[in-house]
Amino acid sequence: MTVRPEMGKAEAPGAGAASPAPSPPVAPIVALLPGQGVLRVEKLTVGYKAPVLKDVSFECGAGSFISILGPNGVGKTTLLRTISRHLKPLAGKVFVLGKAIGSYRATDLARIVSVVMTDKAAPPLLQVLEFVGLGRYPHTGFMGKLTDRDLRIVTKSLADVKAEYLAGRFIDQLSDGERQKVTLARALAQEPRLMLLDEPTSHLDLKHRMEIMGILRALCRLKQLTVLAAVHDVDVAAKVSDQVLALKGGRLEKFGPPHKVLTSKFVAHLYDFEKAGYSNLLGGIEIRGDGQAGRAFVVAGEDKGAQAFRYLSKHGYRVSAGILGRTDLDSYVAGALGCEVFTPAKPGFEGAALESLRGADFVVDAVSANCPGEGAPGGAPAPDPPDPAKGEGTQGDPAAPRDGPQETLCAPNRALLQEAARLGLRVITLGPNGEISPLVDALDEMERLKRAAPMGLPPEAGGAIGPDPQDAADAGLRGA
Amino acid sequence: MHADLSLDNSVLIRHYSSRRTTVFLVLGVLVLILGILNLMIGSISYPYADVVRALFSPFADGEINTIIWKIRLPRVLAAIMGGAYLAASGLLLQVYFRNPIVGPFILGISSGAILMVSLVMLTALGLRLTYITPFLTTIAGIVGAYAVMVVVVSIAAKVKSGATLLIVGLMMGYICSSVTAILTALAEKEKIKGFVLWELGSFSGFKWVEIWIMMGVGGLLVLAIFLLSKPLNAFLLGEDYAASMGVNIRRFRLFILLAASSLAGLVTAMAGPVAFIGLAVPHMARLSFGTSDNRILVPGACLMGAIITSLCDLIARMWLSPVELPISAITAFFGAPIVIGLLLKRGVKL
Repeated sequence: MTVRPEMGKAEAPGAGAASPAPSPPVAPIVALLPGQGVLRVEKLTVGYKAPVLKDVSFECGAGSFISILGPNGVGKTTLLRTISRHLKPLAGKVFVLGKAIGSYRATDLARIVSVVMTDKAAPPLLQVLEFVGLGRYPHTGFMGKLTDRDLRIVTKSLADVKAEYLAGRFIDQLSDGERQKVTLARALAQEPRLMLLDEPTSHLDLKHRMEIMGILRALCRLKQLTVLAAVHDVDVAAKVSDQVLALKGGRLEKFGPPHKVLTSKFVAHLYDFEKAGYSNLLGGIEIRGDGQAGRAFVVAGEDKGAQAFRYLSKHGYRVSAGILGRTDLDSYVAGALGCEVFTPAKPGFEGAALESLRGADFVVDAVSANCPGEGAPGGAPAPDPPDPAKGEGTQGDPAAPRDGPQETLCAPNRALLQEAARLGLRVITLGPNGEISPLVDALDEMERLKRAAPMGLPPEAGGAIGPDPQDAADAGLRGA
Repeated sequence: MHADLSLDNSVLIRHYSSRRTTVFLVLGVLVLILGILNLMIGSISYPYADVVRALFSPFADGEINTIIWKIRLPRVLAAIMGGAYLAASGLLLQVYFRNPIVGPFILGISSGAILMVSLVMLTALGLRLTYITPFLTTIAGIVGAYAVMVVVVSIAAKVKSGATLLIVGLMMGYICSSVTAILTALAEKEKIKGFVLWELGSFSGFKWVEIWIMMGVGGLLVLAIFLLSKPLNAFLLGEDYAASMGVNIRRFRLFILLAASSLAGLVTAMAGPVAFIGLAVPHMARLSFGTSDNRILVPGACLMGAIITSLCDLIARMWLSPVELPISAITAFFGAPIVIGLLLKRGVKL
């Protein structure tokens, strides 16, 4: 164990990695450089009797936000409870400000670490002001009387979480979101250096979820508070954290900044996703369909297809999408949804896309309403064509660098749509900007037909989906 | 109503502290008034001036002096202390279990005390030790209360539901009562009479030595509880939270349970079972002071308990005089509607 000589001194920079001592710090408060131990965990094994997590080691510096991620039951709470000294570690050590937590007096530790667990105690007739005042516990005297200074800190803490207006209310009469804000204020009133939170936003609505996370993020930045929180939304964690602790299978799998740790592949592995996909660039989770309802080919690009992908996927369709620029939003969404994606990156992509389109039950045209030119079958209106069909080149054309993808991809997309018309596939044309109400209507109609049809003979009755050329042609006409 | 106050928290604080001072004053005056009324009124009633004169001359002779000093004053003090201690015990239990519907009676603690006291009073166990009877029944009461408490707490640790806890307490109460009933059936006739009278619950017949025991033991416990109201406040937000604030949970939990069962056992051993004070009075204190802050509630509940018990004792003595009613009959009459009202009005959850 490397016990640091200057332990206990809050402002002392740890003798960790950085050595250039004489260089002047930016501000005196920020004496602990990032990565230097407000909290250091060394080979920690936690659990009740049997170990739940083994050999967890990490370190976090002042002002950083660390999210603990992992599937339910992996030991996030157990880890937090061990760090907060509620549980004895089975092995290993936890250091706070360079000093082993076991060697702190309980009250002294409470002046440094504040804990917000999921326990939502709301005794009756306890005012918010008194409730937050309880956070001054480790600082107040024997009878816990709040001095003027304590009261100022309580008021300031309420202001920090934007909850001054709640001061006179009773704690048992607050909504979940309000109570969580007030609970944060209470933890802040403790004037901690490190705050441990267990799922601080569970049971909260979207507004409060964002608000709470925003507040915590701001506290990290402005007060150099270190936050270690068990978080169950990967997307939230990716957006707010500086570091992510990914726990799985009884150990710490990865520790690092979210952009490095939270790759789509790793997130899928972490949570055993099968029916969902995570896009680290979108920072969101997409729910995948099971692909049982049928196959759809969406002619998309320029972020016009994303809504349609989601809608189709949600309704159980396997989606293929083309032709998408590699940096197109559509690509990311389609990727996260597990769609088959055709981009100009691979040679021969046009042929492959056409092949895929031929196997589809129907085609969704997300681009005609936006694409220049009149190439779309069925004569979809092209509202503002700045420059009609031009530049048949499939790769980015250096002559038109600014509108590159649009220019270049309209041609292959047109080819796809023409092929669909030739095959007599039903084509559903979306509104401008990929507005999906035509698709919604069409799917509803198919649903109705499917349900009206006797179970035994789908091809004739369910013509809208079936590959029967006659019906499909009709459907195509209707759709156009 | 709170919107403006919140802008200046010191106003808020002052507003509440002035309200609390007023309530304390009112309750204090009420204790005095009821105490004096209890001294004045009885099978023979005395005017105020005579009572005060008798109070200031404890060693004088005369009928009034004997009645005041031998009969009424011990009873008044016993009722005041009994009520205060039961209320403090109930308050501790409600904080510890974080459940508004617990009290020494509901959790079977009083029944445990009754069982142990019946063992002493009804069997040969107490025979050889008659010379320490007041101590013996007191100790028996405390031991019985604590034993039941230990059982209830160990079960409560396994099941987290408040309703289950109440049922466990209720069942413990039944078991203790059935053992007590068996002991009564087997006991000699002469012993049964005294026991049955005690079991009805009454503050009559207190000897001064018993008063001193109550004052000494109970007073120290209540003082200790008051001095520990800061960690008790942290406990309001749960054991885990208190632990994270630096409270030594194991030691503190032991203290709470010991103090609560000692107080309840002490009162039960001497006055017999007194229902509902421990359950209802903490709520009445909470509502009248408008807070859950135990620094206010420990003295507040004690005062409130003293008032309610004195009042109930007065009613028990005088309502159907010369027949004296058991105190529990009156306290339950007051207490049960209060509990029902609480459940309905404040939406108290189990």
